[in-house]
Order: sequence, then C-alpha cells, then structure tokens
Amino acid sequence: MKKILVLLLITINLSSCEKDDICTDETTPQLVLEFYDISNPSIKKPVINLTITAEGQASLGTFNGQTKILLPLNTSQDQTKYSLKLNSTSINGSNEDFLEFNYTRQDIFVSRACGFKTIFELNQTPLGLIKSEPTIEDGFWIQDINLLTSNISTENETHIKIYF
Amino acid sequence: MKHISKFTFSITLVLLSFLSNAQEKTSKENINIEKGIAKDSIPPKKERYGLRVGVDFFKLSRSFFEKEYKALEFVGDYRITRRHFLAAEIGNENKTVNEDQLNFTTKGSFLKVGFDYNSFVNWGTMENVISIGLRYGASSFSQTLNSYQVYNTNPYFGETPIVLSGSKFDGLSAQWIEVVAGMKAEVLKNIFVGFSFRLNRLLSQKSPDNFENLYIPGFNRTYNGDFGAGFNYTVSYFIPLYKSTVKTKESKKKPNTKKEKK
Repeated sequence: MKKILVLLLITINLSSCEKDDICTDETTPQLVLEFYDISNPSIKKPVINLTITAEGQASLGTFNGQTKILLPLNTSQDQTKYSLKLNSTSINGSNEDFLEFNYTRQDIFVSRACGFKTIFELNQTPLGLIKSEPTIEDGFWIQDINLLTSNISTENETHIKIYF
Repeated sequence: MKHISKFTFSITLVLLSFLSNAQEKTSKENINIEKGIAKDSIPPKKERYGLRVGVDFFKLSRSFFEKEYKALEFVGDYRITRRHFLAAEIGNENKTVNEDQLNFTTKGSFLKVGFDYNSFVNWGTMENVISIGLRYGASSFSQTLNSYQVYNTNPYFGETPIVLSGSKFDGLSAQWIEVVAGMKAEVLKNIFVGFSFRLNRLLSQKSPDNFENLYIPGFNRTYNGDFGAGFNYTVSYFIPLYKSTVKTKESKKKPNTKKEKK
C-alpha cells in the first residue's frame, strides 16, 4: 500500500513537471519573402543594404547578402505597409519601393502555453499586395512580384518571390 | 552434459527447498488449527455495514481562500462486502484560470462512481480504511474564454493587445477513469476523516471550436496526453445499517497468526 502511495506521489510530481508551460509550438507566422534575379528567375539574388521599415515604426533592420527575409504583419490591424529601400547606405543610388499588404485576420487556438496565434489571408489580387512609389519617384527596383499563396499560416513556406 | 547435470542438480535443489518450505507451512498450519480449536469459545466477530456520507473539505476551504474558485463535493460509500465499498462523488466547480496568454472560466458539475477495496486489516472493532479503487467520472460543463493575447514571436509592432473575447462554449462534456488511493480513519464515533489521491485518464471529451478543455470540473487541469491528477480531504459520517458476522474460518485464523508472531 505504501508503495502505491509513493508511486502515486511520484507520478503526480512528474506530471506537474510536464513542459506544457513553455510555448514550443509554431505561433503567429511572418511573411516569408525570397529574392530572385530578374535576368535569371530560377537563381536567388542576395539583397544589398536593404532597409525595411513599416509605416509609422522604427526600422526593422538593414539586410545585406540575404535572399530570404521575414516580415511581421501587424496583428491588430488589417493593413501593413512596408518601405523597402535598396542600397540604403548610398546617397545617390538608393531606391525606395513600398509594399502594402491588405488582409483579414483570424485568431487560432494553439495550446495552453501559447494561447492564440493570428493567421492572415491576403485579400484578392490586386488589392492584397500593392506595390507603390514614394512621392519623389525613383522608379521601381522591384521588377516583378510573384505571390505564391495568399494564405499566410506558416513560416515553413515562401509566400512571395521578389525579382530584381 | 556437465551443464545439463549442473542444471538438473540446481533445479532439484530449488524444488526441494520449496518442498521443505511447504512442509514447514503445513506443519505450522496444523498447529494453528490445533490451537484454534482451543479458542473456539470466543464469540464470533461482528462488523458493521452501512452508508458513509461526507464533504470534501479541500474544495470547500479552497473556495474560501481562492477568489476565483468555487466548488463543493459530496462523497459517499456503501459497504457491500468485508473489503469492498461502492463509492461515489458528486460535485460542482466554478474556476477561473489565469494563464500568461489566456484567461478563462470553467463551470460545471461532475459525478464519479466506482468502488474501493480496503486492504487494511483492522484489529478488534476498528473500521479504518486504506483503500485502492477505481472510478468512472463524467462531467457536463461550459467554458468562457474571458480574454487572450495573441502569441507573437516578433514584437516589432509592440506587444499585442489583450483581446476581450467573452465567447462562451456551452454543452461541453468529458468522461474519464480514475485510480484512487486513499485512507479513512474513525476519529470520533461514526465520524471519519480521510484523504485520497487520484490519477485520471481522459476517455473522451467534447471540445469547443477553436479552444480546448483546459480545465474540466472533477477532472481538474488537463495535461498534454489526457492525464490529470486530483486530491480530496473528506470528513464523513457513517450511518450503520446492519451488522454481519465475520466468517468463522477467518476469525479462527486471525488470532492464531498473531500468536505465531509472538
């Protein structure tokens, strides 16, 4: 009988140590961008000093030599507008393009530790993804955009291919 | 060949030791029976049978001390044989859980029925219980998701705001099996104090859409893999209904085994 009690106590202790208090599941996905060469569309092309900033926010960062960038979408609004400035360190050679994402959001339950995540569904083309120029036009450095999926629910796939 | 004979020899040795053991026992038993005859004049032992009803003071006291917890549980058992009891618990729980990412309230009732097996050998007229048992539990409840915060690994747009959801999920249910280990001791005449530990395994449940049963009344917190655990501390009153004579064979054996140990 004592053995049974001891066993029970051990099991209760063990079960309370279970790691369901730490969120390890995949949660709110970010937009996955991949950059390709316009003259050779099957080859990835690294970006050069690309500064990314969301409207009304501090800079997300300056990326150099990367072919894949993750962009967070705003989970409390149905719209996120990003400025992508190529060659941002150069005074004359920089070129700024805007990408505007319009979407609907859905909160999905994940687990006790993670709570909810938000997944996004981009609106029907062309309204879901709009490319635009700043007020002082400097021409598009983004020459082509290929939207692979409008359903942004995981970071395990590329959502948008950008050719330049 | 050498190995075989070695094997045969050791097996025979082992078997022989059993034989001698068995003989020893039978000789002891013979003595017991002989001695037992001398004790026959003792009146046969009578044991009380009846219904025991009580309240879980663990839930009751938590209801007083915890602001977001209200619960009541009644327990009962009915003795059917010397060692077996039919046992049941019935209760109601209302609990609000505040996790890092979530805040929800679970409300509902539960019923558990099963049996206890008393493994404790009482002396004289004592009626204490050290038991192991099984229960089938069922619960009917509702969940209200009060608020949640979206989990976002990249806080670029600042911390995500807390969403006041308030969505209510009605008509939820769950069934489970419980293994119970507990004890009860008679502290005053007919008044028993006891406690029990429970390990639960969920059999089936009706989960809400886009949410989970993170807490089930009677089952308690759910862990990944459908396991749960519980505890109760009961004070109960025994209502004696009838007395039954303990079988003579058992009453003969017991005083003798005691004597043998001396």
